[in-house]
Amino acid sequence: MSLLQQVWIVLKKELRDGLRDRRSITTVLFTAALSPVLFGGMFTVMAVRNKNADEIKLPVAGAENAPAFVDWLKQQTGVEVVTAPADPEQAVRDRSEDVVLIIDKDFSRNMARAIPAPVKLVSDSTRENARKRVARARTLVATYSRQVAALRLLARGVAPPVATPVQLEEVEVSSAQERLAEQLNILTLLLVIAALTGGMQVAIDTTAGERERGSLEPLLLSPVPRVALAAGKWLAASAFGCSGVLFSMLLTVNVLRRVPWEDMEIRFRVSDGDLLSLLALVLPLVLFLSAVLIFFSTFARSFKEAQGYVGMLILLPMLPGVVSILYPLSNRPWLAPIPIVGQYALAADVLGGKPPGVIFYTLAGVSVLFCAFVLLMLTSRLLNRETIIFGR
Amino acid sequence: MIEIQGLRKKFGTVEAVRGVSFSAGEGTVVGLLGPNGAGKTTTLRILSGLMRADAGAIRVDNADVAADPIGAQAHMGFLPESRGLYPRLTPMEHVEYFGRLHGLDGQDLRERARALLTRLELKDWASRPVSGFSHGERTKVALARALVHQPRNVILDEPTNGLDVMSTRAVRDMIRELRREGRCVLFSSHIMQEVSALCDRIVVIAQGKVVADGTPDELRSLAGHDNLEDAFVALSGLE
Repeated sequence: MSLLQQVWIVLKKELRDGLRDRRSITTVLFTAALSPVLFGGMFTVMAVRNKNADEIKLPVAGAENAPAFVDWLKQQTGVEVVTAPADPEQAVRDRSEDVVLIIDKDFSRNMARAIPAPVKLVSDSTRENARKRVARARTLVATYSRQVAALRLLARGVAPPVATPVQLEEVEVSSAQERLAEQLNILTLLLVIAALTGGMQVAIDTTAGERERGSLEPLLLSPVPRVALAAGKWLAASAFGCSGVLFSMLLTVNVLRRVPWEDMEIRFRVSDGDLLSLLALVLPLVLFLSAVLIFFSTFARSFKEAQGYVGMLILLPMLPGVVSILYPLSNRPWLAPIPIVGQYALAADVLGGKPPGVIFYTLAGVSVLFCAFVLLMLTSRLLNRETIIFGR
Repeated sequence: MIEIQGLRKKFGTVEAVRGVSFSAGEGTVVGLLGPNGAGKTTTLRILSGLMRADAGAIRVDNADVAADPIGAQAHMGFLPESRGLYPRLTPMEHVEYFGRLHGLDGQDLRERARALLTRLELKDWASRPVSGFSHGERTKVALARALVHQPRNVILDEPTNGLDVMSTRAVRDMIRELRREGRCVLFSSHIMQEVSALCDRIVVIAQGKVVADGTPDELRSLAGHDNLEDAFVALSGLE
């Protein structure tokens, strides 16, 4: 009987056992469903905020002081002028209004004399949500001011460009896709979590669980090399991890396709090819993560003890994910050979629309598979230790 | 055929096994008798290939256990002290899994498994998950999975421990049948009647040493007691 046949026997048994375990099925489904819900919710909130910023309800106090200005405001697209509350400052402070425009009673008189006509904009700069609406109101006032200035210059026989000595044009180097990619990096984090939690239950049950039940000693009495046993268990955990990733991916993509991207002025452009690239990164990583889980769970005498170890382990691969949200890992494909970090770095480039070369995928894949192999060998050596076999 | 020569094993400063030697031939039942902590389980664990001896050698059908544990394990059917099962699998699946690990497959394996479960009166339970099984039923499943490959040598660590009357009977009948089939059976026990009723030879172990080795009659005369229990107490130096 070849080693592969022996691995297959163990794998088949562990899969059958795992599929009958309600706990392992629910963890796969739960984590797979959790990610897209979080994700879809987050982007929908962002999109809705963006949309609201364009359609602004602008409360104007003292509208009667500047009928021409208010008429002009009403003609602007997406602007609705409403009556201001009695105490504008209090209204902004207690958040019943984001921004209030106050037109001074001297507005028309100053306008007629061509001296600056006073207008007040009440806002609260600590409020992140209101920032876009305040900026919109500020732009409206500035635009009106510029238009009146141009008319005045024309009336005095001066070409309006004379009053614009410097023209500023802003150039944004990051594409909209790249800015979105920074947010999308969470997708990689969620996939890694799905990979870990998907295989966790089976990894623990086939190692620490085996010790806790007292079935490890009988199993080790079969004339099968330890590495075949370890490999079968590792592949079973990996299979569950992979199905967690695939489930999570499918659901997340479905949700992402339904987010109202137009409202964020972004064309959602993660193609099927990009998603396959992500899978090509994350699926080999699953093999590594399962090997880590199997190795550490073998040390544990019981299910509970193993859950303690794994709880700490789960935080580790999440760290680079969290860090990559603050300090983007994009444009660093040379990170590829470092397990987990490499996957985050390459995934950031894929999502940023700058897919790295095949060599980097290969490098990342070979590196994680090598690490998984080393852990597998260490696990089979653990299975020879008397303290592990008999220590209950 | 099992041959054990000068076995020694130390745990820290405690010497659990101090030069145990004995052998068990084909078609015989050998009982390993001794008080708790005498070194029975340690001796059997070394025999199983899962524990390394500090000194001594064990041969099972000409395979050296220390040098080739997997080769030796192929010739042994072992019921160890811990006999945990997989709660979500049925007895049939347990027996088939271990049969496959021993290289059996297909129709042949299925027939052997069915025959074993019938013999151990587990047929009616063969397709239910073992999670709700009684202690006796669990032991029978563990026994069935240890015997599926029809080993020439059968080693049982306290096989009737904690079993009710009917299960104990089934296990004892099984041991007699194995002898009839010409297998070598070695089992440990501390139940006197069981040992005297089943064994062709008894090896008494006390404080890590073999203190007596012979037929039940030889042991009685050696200790000068007609009662085997008195003989055992005298031989193992408990008084």
